[in-house]
Amino acid sequence: MLISTQWLARHVDLEGISPEELASELTLKTAEVEGLERFAEHLDQVVVGHVESRIAHPDADKLAICTVNVGKEEPLQIVCGAPNVDAGQNVAVAQVGTVLPGNFKIKKAKIRGVESRGMICSVRELELGEDHDGIWVLPEGLSAGESVSSALGLVDWVIEIDNKSLTHRPDLWGHRGIAAEVAAIFGRELKPLETSLPATGSGAGVEVSIEDPACTRYMGLCVDNVRVEASPQWLQLLLLAVGQRPLDLLVDISNFVMLDLGQPNHLFDLAELSAGVKVRMAVDGEEITTLDEEVRGLSPQDLLICSGNTPVALAGVMGGGASKVAEGTTSLLLEVASFDATTIRRTATRVGLRTESSARFEKSLDPCLVPKAAAHLVRTLQSIQPEVSLPAPATDVGDWSDPALTVELSGDRVRELLGVDLDDEDIISKLSALGFCIERDGTMMKVAVPSHRATKDITRAEDLVEEVGRLYGYDQIPGKRLIAEVAPPAKDARQLLVRKIQDRLAGGACFSEALCYSFQPDELLERLGVADEPRVRVVNPVAEGESSVRRSVVPSLLGRIELNRRHRDEVRLFEVGKGYLPEHTDERGQPREVHEAGLVLAARRDKSAAYNAGSRSRLQGVIEDLLRALGAYDSAPLTWRVAGEDDSIPGWANPGRSQVLVCGEGEDQRALCFLADLDPGRARPLGLVEELSSDVAAAWISLDVILSLPKASSSYRPLPKFPGAKVDVALALPLDVSCAGAEFELQRSGKGLVASMELFDVYEGTNVASGQRSLAWHLVLEAKDRTLDEGDVQKFLGRVERAAERLGGALRRES
Amino acid sequence: MRERLESLRIDALRRVGEATGVEDLRAVEKDFLGKEGAVAEILGLIPTLAPMERREAGQGANQLKTTLLEAIAAAKAALEEAEVAAQRDAGGFDPTLQAAAAKRGGLHPITQVRRDVESIFTSMGYEILDGPEVELDYYNFQALNIPVDHPSREMQDTFYCDEDHTLVMRTQTSPVQIRAMERMTPPFRVIVPGRVFRNEEQDATHEHTFHQIEGLVVGEGIQVGHLTWTLKRFLNELFGRELEVRLRPGYFPFVEPGFELDVRCPFCETGCRVCSGSTWVEFCGCGLVHPNVLAAGFGEREDVDHEKLTGFAFGFGLDRLVMLRFGIDDIRNLMGGDLRFLEQFPC
Ligand SMILES: [Zn+2]
Repeated sequence: MLISTQWLARHVDLEGISPEELASELTLKTAEVEGLERFAEHLDQVVVGHVESRIAHPDADKLAICTVNVGKEEPLQIVCGAPNVDAGQNVAVAQVGTVLPGNFKIKKAKIRGVESRGMICSVRELELGEDHDGIWVLPEGLSAGESVSSALGLVDWVIEIDNKSLTHRPDLWGHRGIAAEVAAIFGRELKPLETSLPATGSGAGVEVSIEDPACTRYMGLCVDNVRVEASPQWLQLLLLAVGQRPLDLLVDISNFVMLDLGQPNHLFDLAELSAGVKVRMAVDGEEITTLDEEVRGLSPQDLLICSGNTPVALAGVMGGGASKVAEGTTSLLLEVASFDATTIRRTATRVGLRTESSARFEKSLDPCLVPKAAAHLVRTLQSIQPEVSLPAPATDVGDWSDPALTVELSGDRVRELLGVDLDDEDIISKLSALGFCIERDGTMMKVAVPSHRATKDITRAEDLVEEVGRLYGYDQIPGKRLIAEVAPPAKDARQLLVRKIQDRLAGGACFSEALCYSFQPDELLERLGVADEPRVRVVNPVAEGESSVRRSVVPSLLGRIELNRRHRDEVRLFEVGKGYLPEHTDERGQPREVHEAGLVLAARRDKSAAYNAGSRSRLQGVIEDLLRALGAYDSAPLTWRVAGEDDSIPGWANPGRSQVLVCGEGEDQRALCFLADLDPGRARPLGLVEELSSDVAAAWISLDVILSLPKASSSYRPLPKFPGAKVDVALALPLDVSCAGAEFELQRSGKGLVASMELFDVYEGTNVASGQRSLAWHLVLEAKDRTLDEGDVQKFLGRVERAAERLGGALRRES
Repeated sequence: MRERLESLRIDALRRVGEATGVEDLRAVEKDFLGKEGAVAEILGLIPTLAPMERREAGQGANQLKTTLLEAIAAAKAALEEAEVAAQRDAGGFDPTLQAAAAKRGGLHPITQVRRDVESIFTSMGYEILDGPEVELDYYNFQALNIPVDHPSREMQDTFYCDEDHTLVMRTQTSPVQIRAMERMTPPFRVIVPGRVFRNEEQDATHEHTFHQIEGLVVGEGIQVGHLTWTLKRFLNELFGRELEVRLRPGYFPFVEPGFELDVRCPFCETGCRVCSGSTWVEFCGCGLVHPNVLAAGFGEREDVDHEKLTGFAFGFGLDRLVMLRFGIDDIRNLMGGDLRFLEQFPC
């Protein structure tokens, strides 16, 4: 909201207060000031000129040659095209070198052969209004050469206040409200304002019927003998300063009262309301053409002002086009009303029309302000058009009550919360300055809250503590050490787990942590073949097709591969995040939250690479390393198996290359991790073909499952006392024997001697029978009680050979 | 015999001198000192010699053996030394060529700054809490003194997850205040880092998804001064120097009185771009916990008398801190998942 200091000065004496100080004190004590600017600063450069003579231009009918005294020895010769320029006038002159708004620099010129040294300005050229029919004629009695701003006393500063910081203060949506704050802050008096209606005639007033309680008070007042004309200069300048375009006196004065007292109001041509006023809800399908000439479709939640049954205004939001005051209007109906804040807010939001009026009504205005605003409007109008009269008493109807209330406050409560040593007298004086009336009752104070502070804002003692505190100055409250029990704060197991995962993946594994949106675009989900999964959806997404709330972080990461592969041969990304499963919603309506780490690894495709150089294999290594570091292997037996139908393989995964790491047995078996190659059919939709062709693997790890594992026991084993024997073993085995199956046989053949086992080669081809593959391990055999010799090794190999043969394969001896 | 020994000695030492590798020395050793070498041959001849000569030949052969062994050892040491020296200065050395580039990985800058914030508060005895991002309207609004028709619930700000608006994408981390009050016993101090959502148009400074840190302290006798002291200590720690803070009025329905806290610009003395020339930077919204919020949070608790309690709460944006620390000019980079961005913050 924009506040003019000139306007403020109508309500409170600002003598001796600089605009900067005013802005800073308002920020510290009332509401955030976002900007401070001089209004029409260019008028400092424009001077008063006295037109000494005017003669016609010899070569142009519409031009005149003027001699203008600008307070210098030599008057200026200026060629002017305005029809209204004449000798004897005071005018605004932009001299050569002056820069007008729009970076328009005045230069010496020759116009149709006649020299011109400056410009006589119109109101529009000075950005003071729309008028461009002629030059701006200044009042008489000004001295030539003085700047226009100082001659007219036009030194106005515009303070911009953050609307958000006024959300709870309906009383601050006009200059008088701000002036009251300024008066309290600087210890000055608020100038009195006449708030009673002038005498009225005894005619019949307008008939008003309220059919819906959303209108709490409606005052209708007939006003006669008005004339539609331009507003006086002072009014136009005030409106211009706060960014309002002056139109005509009636529109301007309606705006003026709203911006002065914060009470919106409306002026109808009385002739258009001959059928009486009815306030009702719209019916389905009804329409109204608003002042801005838009046809608005209405719903039964929108409140209407009607003449008879014909809508003439969208209540509290905007007037209708048909009943607006126009040239020739002589009688008005002045409407000042109170409406339900929520109704107005909803209508304004629904029709997309947030006006100055609706912005105020939705803050819950004080119904007691209604007659005051009506009186202020009529009296201001009469000060300009004294013949204006009121033929009949105001019609004032509605089911409203005075919101004023009394709140009990103890000085101790103030001192306790603010931590400031204020005595009761200080507290009372601060509250009085803000317009509260205090009656003391022992140690308690009974604080009467005036109606304009009572609609939303002040209802309890703490609200008054705020009033005292801000006027005292929050910045004056000293910091105070917080004394508390010294104890280590409780740590959350999940947070510790997240931290370990992040550190391990970002550190040793060299993955980059990404944070992706919680919303996943439908088109990405479709490309990944997971669009059918149930998802929480927002009903008002930021863009069409971005309503899905993720249930897993993996699709988001997969969606980032193409972008990154364009710049990188290898993409390693992870995110630890939350997913939401609407199919598991609790009785309060909250979907189950799951916590997972998602990983993707994408590399250039390389068919010649070693058996374990592929992305999935590398990712598996990263995951196993991570889980080992987390102690998961010590907590429970974890085994990889081929993912099957029960594992709900996501659409992005190659079903033939999907694996699950499970913990627990039978019914209790749970998937701790899912790992798969990207389905080859997804590469093209993801843009990962041709030069971006990628070997992609992705995985998720469930933090919830890890946290549910039993606490790991220590995995320490004493170091062996006797040296072990290193043996390499290569087995040729049928393809359907899994690596884990083979390793199980090796363990069994070792009879407890196999201390470690590391697969180092996988081979199919020459020297291996078809339908078989060769697997080779480095083994270390150890015994607790003796040093193993060659005999032990040979016995072990013998058992391995027999085991391999049982599996349909063979031990491969070195040839 | 003496002549023979002498010629053997000369011959052997010549071959030691000519040796260019350890193999050559091994051959010398074999030819002269091996089982079938020249010295063994001489020793084999000794029984055939005259008794007087036997002694002389024995001594001479042993002396030759000793001499040769020493010469071979010395030559071997010299050769090894030469080999090491040759390895030391292999030539063609270019340190800029070692491009076995280390792989890069790292934590997201949000995570990095979030951890800094967390560790400062943890050191001050704060517990770190978490809460759901898909939240009930009750926690996100109603319990926070934001009833159904409150203007700050405008449709354009909040993402609703169902038509009857019982479920929302949380617009703030504040709902965790209520969740904390429901289960924790005062006095307590907590912070809540997390992502929040507002339905806003995205541009370089606006995101619909961003990160907040909420703080809540509840106990008896908590006052405004405790709030400023706490945030000042935190900011001093975060920026590594003494920074002034100030409170001014601010409106948030869940605090009363409510404040905005400004901190003296950490980047300038007299005004800069960050503080728009004012030397103050808006840091967070805060205030004393509204009695209605205490009542909503503790109301069902028989073990807690919320009327006796007061508290303070604050909430600030993490994204802006991250952008200030690293000089990031576009907030959209944070959630963009672009490695060219992420790899700029190795940690
Ligand atoms: Zn600065």
